[in-house]
Formats: sequence, structure tokens, C-alpha cells
Amino acid sequence: MPGAADQTRSDIVAMLPRLRRFARALTGSLADADDIVQIAVERALMRIDQFQEGTRLDSWLFSITRNAWIDEARSRTRRGKIFAPAEAGEQVGYGGEGDVHAKLEADDVWTAMRKLPDEQREAVALVCVEGLAYREAADALGVPIGTLTSRLARGREALQIMLGGAR
Amino acid sequence: MSVDTEKLIAFADGELSGAEVAEVEAALAENPALREQLESYRQLSARLSAAFDGALTEPVPQRLTEAAQTLRQAEVIDFASRRTAKWSFREYGAMAASIALGLVVGVGVLQPPAPMVATAASGLEAQGALSEALNTQLAADEAGAVRIGVSFRNHDGAYCRAFDLTQGGASGIACRDNNRWSIPLLSGSATGGEVRTAGASTEVLNAVDAMIEGDPLDAAAERAARDADWR
Repeated sequence: MPGAADQTRSDIVAMLPRLRRFARALTGSLADADDIVQIAVERALMRIDQFQEGTRLDSWLFSITRNAWIDEARSRTRRGKIFAPAEAGEQVGYGGEGDVHAKLEADDVWTAMRKLPDEQREAVALVCVEGLAYREAADALGVPIGTLTSRLARGREALQIMLGGAR
Repeated sequence: MSVDTEKLIAFADGELSGAEVAEVEAALAENPALREQLESYRQLSARLSAAFDGALTEPVPQRLTEAAQTLRQAEVIDFASRRTAKWSFREYGAMAASIALGLVVGVGVLQPPAPMVATAASGLEAQGALSEALNTQLAADEAGAVRIGVSFRNHDGAYCRAFDLTQGGASGIACRDNNRWSIPLLSGSATGGEVRTAGASTEVLNAVDAMIEGDPLDAAAERAARDADWR
């Protein structure tokens, strides 16, 4: 049904800001975030007929984005350079926009998120950053709800330790 | 104290049922340490939001919106080709129906017993009434001895036409070959007068599918090709 697919496509465009936010929380890098959002949007449009009307578009897109990052992180681990861009950003004195990016990526919360294990980080990103309900987050990650809540608890605890009591 | 960390977090996230909410609220009322813990969870959530919410107000890079636009184009093309496939399938269906109908019309009508197919060096070849019909008759024309089905170009660029004989129950495909019509497929030579169902032409339809290049000719293209003598 082309009409429904058209609607879904414009819904995807409307979701781009949230996808970028989620991807930033997930990757801890501005450039990586936009790269995987692009990959995710392309994948979503290729599989648009797999999207079931009446189910939540955001959960579906978050799931595709998260899988895109897993693929990317996996291939980077093979090449031994995971998170290299963000670390480089902290060391190299950029000017202009690069400087702004480096400062944002060096933010305490971004740094703490990058240090979380992947499983905890994606749970925190979906629930605490994106505000998904546990059920939806668990579905997006393909895990039982109990697994999600325990990852969430551990992730939050770790973040609190890293970020200290400071405000 | 039955309120553990997970339950407190679930409370903060609004994930608890009514009874559990009451339970946590009761615990919070009598336990300042728990209230402090809840407050620190809420502050963490606020810090997480503040750290990443910039993405919601920043302009989306053009390459991301373009990614959607580019694929939109690709999909339009995809839709177009799918529509064509459906259209030609419908066309085949119409031809199948016409075969059945043609045979009904043909039943009991005496046809001159002139041979319509001959054996040539390269295989079968149309002649007589069949050759004449292939040359001049359009799919929309009233069927005489021959009913014309779908016309198309094959992979060599030659015109081909599906046909059926109104008497005798044979159908096939003829392709233009040096001012003649060669017949790569002739099938279903049922005994005279037997009315076949449209389904019996599946063999012809499959052959058309295998031979066709592009789309079947529409009525205007069919007429133009005939007027140009199928060259």
C-alpha cells in the first residue's frame, strides 16, 4: 500500500532528531551517530514493507539503529580502532566546529556513557534518554523484560559512581 | 525493606502497577535514605537528557534527509516495475480468458480444413489463415479461425504474438522471422470441439514470460507494429 508506506517514510523523517539523540548516546560520538543514523534510515527504507502498521515506529527504528551500531562496532573491533575518533577529539586542538564537537564529546556524561558496557549503555539510552517503556525497550533490544531491567539498574549504578554526587 | 534498587528505578521510570506504587510510596515516606536515592536517580535522568537533547533542536544534516529522499526515488522506480508486472499479468489473464471464450465461439463452426501450420527447415511455421491473422489481426478484433493474444518483443527484438486456434484447441506463440512467422511453441492440441479451460494455456503464458523483453505491446503499439508490417 503506497499511501501507508509514504506515511511511514515521512514519519521516519520526523524521527531523525530522536534517532540522532539515541545514536549519540549509543556511540558517544557525533560523527559516528550521524553515520549510523544514515545507515539505519537506508536499511529501514529498504525494509519498509517489514514494518507492521500499528506497531511503534520508534522502537523499530531504534532497533535498526542499534543493530547498525553493533555491526559498525564489530567491524571496528576487528580493525582495532573503536572510539578512536572521540579520543582523538579530546587530544587534538580543533578549531571552529570541531572544537565544539570535541567539547561536547568530552562532556562527563558522554565520557561515562562510553565507558558503560554495550548492553547497559543501550538499555540506558532507550529508557533514560529516549524515554521508552520497559516493554518497548526490551522488544527493541530483543531481550526479556527482566534482562532489560537488570541491565538498566547496573548501568544507572555505574553511571552514578562515575559521575559522582556532583549535581 | 522490600524496595530494592530495581524496584525504585522502576518507580522512577513510572513502570510500576498501582499496588507497587503504593508500596514504594509507603517505603519512601518512612525512609529518608530511599528518598535520597530516588532523587539521585532523577538527577541522573535529567543529566542524561541534558547531555543528549541537543540533537532534538539542532538542524538535521542534509545528508540524512537526503538519504531518505534518494531511497524514495529508488522505491518509486520499484513500484513502477511492480505495477508493470501486475499489468502484464492481468493482460495474460485476459488472453487466457480469450482463449477459453474463443473456443466456445469456435465450437460447431465449420472451418475450411486448410493447414495453418507447416514444417519448415528451422521448425514450425505459420501459413494460411494463421499467417494471415498474425499479419493483420489485432487482439481486439473478433476472432475468426484464429484469436490473437498478447503481442511483445522477444530478447532478439523480434515481434512475437500469442495465438490460439478457435477450432482444434491449439495455442502457441509465433515470432516474426524474415517475413515469416516461426512458431517456437505450439501446445494443447486437444481434439476438435473440446472446450479447454483458460488454465490450459499456462504453458503459453510461461513461455511468454520467458521470451518477453520489456512490456507487452499495448493496443496502440500493437496497431503501429502491424502497420509497419512487424519489422
